[in-house]
Amino acid sequence: MRTKEITGKTVLWIFLLALAFVTLIPVVITILGSFKTNSELTTGATFLPSKWHFSNYAEAWDQANFSTYTVNSLIVSLSTVAGTLLVASMAAYVVDRMDFIGKKIYVGMQSFTMFVAVGAVVLRPQFDLMVKLHLHSSLWGVILILISAHASIFFILLSFMKGIPRELDEAARIDGSSLARTFWTIILPLLGPGLGVGALFTFRGAWNEYLLPLVFTMTKPELQTLTVGLANLKYGISAASQTHYMMAGACLSILPILIAYVFANKSFMQMTAGSLKG
Amino acid sequence: MNKSKNAAFAYSFLLPSALLTLVLGIYPIAWAFRYMFYNYKGYGTARFIGLDNFSRILRDTEFWNSVVNTFVYAGGKLLLSIPLSLLLAAILNRKIRGRQLLRAVFFMPTVISTAVMAVVFFTIFNSYNGILNQFLIKFNISSSGIDWLGPKHAMLTVILVAVWGAVGNYMLLFLAGLQNIPEDVYESSSLDGANKIQQFRFITLPMLGPVLQMVIMLAIINALKGYESIMVLTEGGPAGKTEVMFLYLYKLFFPVGGSAASTQVQEFGYGSAVAFVSAVIVGMISLIYFYASRRMNRID
Repeated sequence: MRTKEITGKTVLWIFLLALAFVTLIPVVITILGSFKTNSELTTGATFLPSKWHFSNYAEAWDQANFSTYTVNSLIVSLSTVAGTLLVASMAAYVVDRMDFIGKKIYVGMQSFTMFVAVGAVVLRPQFDLMVKLHLHSSLWGVILILISAHASIFFILLSFMKGIPRELDEAARIDGSSLARTFWTIILPLLGPGLGVGALFTFRGAWNEYLLPLVFTMTKPELQTLTVGLANLKYGISAASQTHYMMAGACLSILPILIAYVFANKSFMQMTAGSLKG
Repeated sequence: MNKSKNAAFAYSFLLPSALLTLVLGIYPIAWAFRYMFYNYKGYGTARFIGLDNFSRILRDTEFWNSVVNTFVYAGGKLLLSIPLSLLLAAILNRKIRGRQLLRAVFFMPTVISTAVMAVVFFTIFNSYNGILNQFLIKFNISSSGIDWLGPKHAMLTVILVAVWGAVGNYMLLFLAGLQNIPEDVYESSSLDGANKIQQFRFITLPMLGPVLQMVIMLAIINALKGYESIMVLTEGGPAGKTEVMFLYLYKLFFPVGGSAASTQVQEFGYGSAVAFVSAVIVGMISLIYFYASRRMNRID
């Protein structure tokens, strides 16, 4: 019985560690690869770099334009987070606290956009609309479209809003606070945890978004985000000679989100039950 | 008076959200719904052609090839990722050492961009001087490496990459479900002499039924709709071997990368019809699954 238990435990741990290894190795290869020379990546099968080439980052930053890509990614992600949280929290506030004609239609519309997806077809009219609004030659078109997809954040914030006692609203009203002021000074601060989770998800989505910025920057390389610029390196004629840039670029795009993940691990783990990725 | 003032306030607060959703969420779907009856290539005037696009779909072997590929891809992804994530969740729900760290490790892939990881996996699986093949050759496991992205193995490679990205997410959803099963059920069953496998079979699995049903549903929909990583990894190649429904659809609207597909003519009208048929296929599969799996929703 005892030896059987020990064998069982050993098998279990071999299984777990092997899976953990397979899960981690692509990211480890990327991080280590970003310090290797190109020839080391394409010919030798060494695990650790023979010499750590930190200059890869400087070169990728300059020559492969990763400085531009990073700035673009930051603009897109931060604007999307700010816009999404504002728009969704305002909507969640009035939907939870007030009664008005058309509320059901609005909520139905939000769930409809969350569940009906017909793939890339919607990108086309979205793009044409942005051309008409003259927003296609900047990243604002991308940002607006990303903000418009706030249905899931709206529902998350709505559930957090239900947890804030209505007595607070009433007390504020008796004290003469307007509805807008109650929202800004009382509700929003109390919505903190919900906004945090919403920010985390929105940032992850916007930072990782590929198709939308790809479509909008097809003729404007100076507007490419990290994901787009990186994937384009693969298509380049000289891609074979740029593997080390590719690895450095991949690290530049993975590390910020990975660091955010490590710090926010707990809320990530708890709240992803509502996420639709995978 | 107060009431109408309140209503005005409500609408003003709802306006940004409603306007964005209407213009950028609902309108594009309506756009597609209209153009599926038109012959429209994106320039010139659109011509109404009734159901011609749909009869063209019936004859479009490239599309039906992509439908078959989608089923293979989704089936493979599900068969590997669901049991694996369920097993991981069952293990990491027990009080074993380092479970928090292991959970974090397995969940990590889901926070990283699919497109970026596809680029990395491309350099790993690349048949010519890819990292994995160099390793296989160096340690004499294979003499000349394996053509991971070639016609024979490309679909398998694409599935493996998808499983890598998905397991952590389903594991987490299963973990959330497992937390609702009371501890004492396990305790009393082990007093009755049930071993861990019996406990899994007769307690965990039945009590996880509703969660299992929901997670598989999500997994089916995501697998049928996913194409981002395939687009970066193989562009649907070689020779259409990994072309899936939504990637084929994408190519009718936009060019892909630096491949030959970029010279392909864009067809908005036909693409809209393909989008409709694809959405119906996804909807039908979900519905069939939902009815077939109703039994899982019953805990007994």
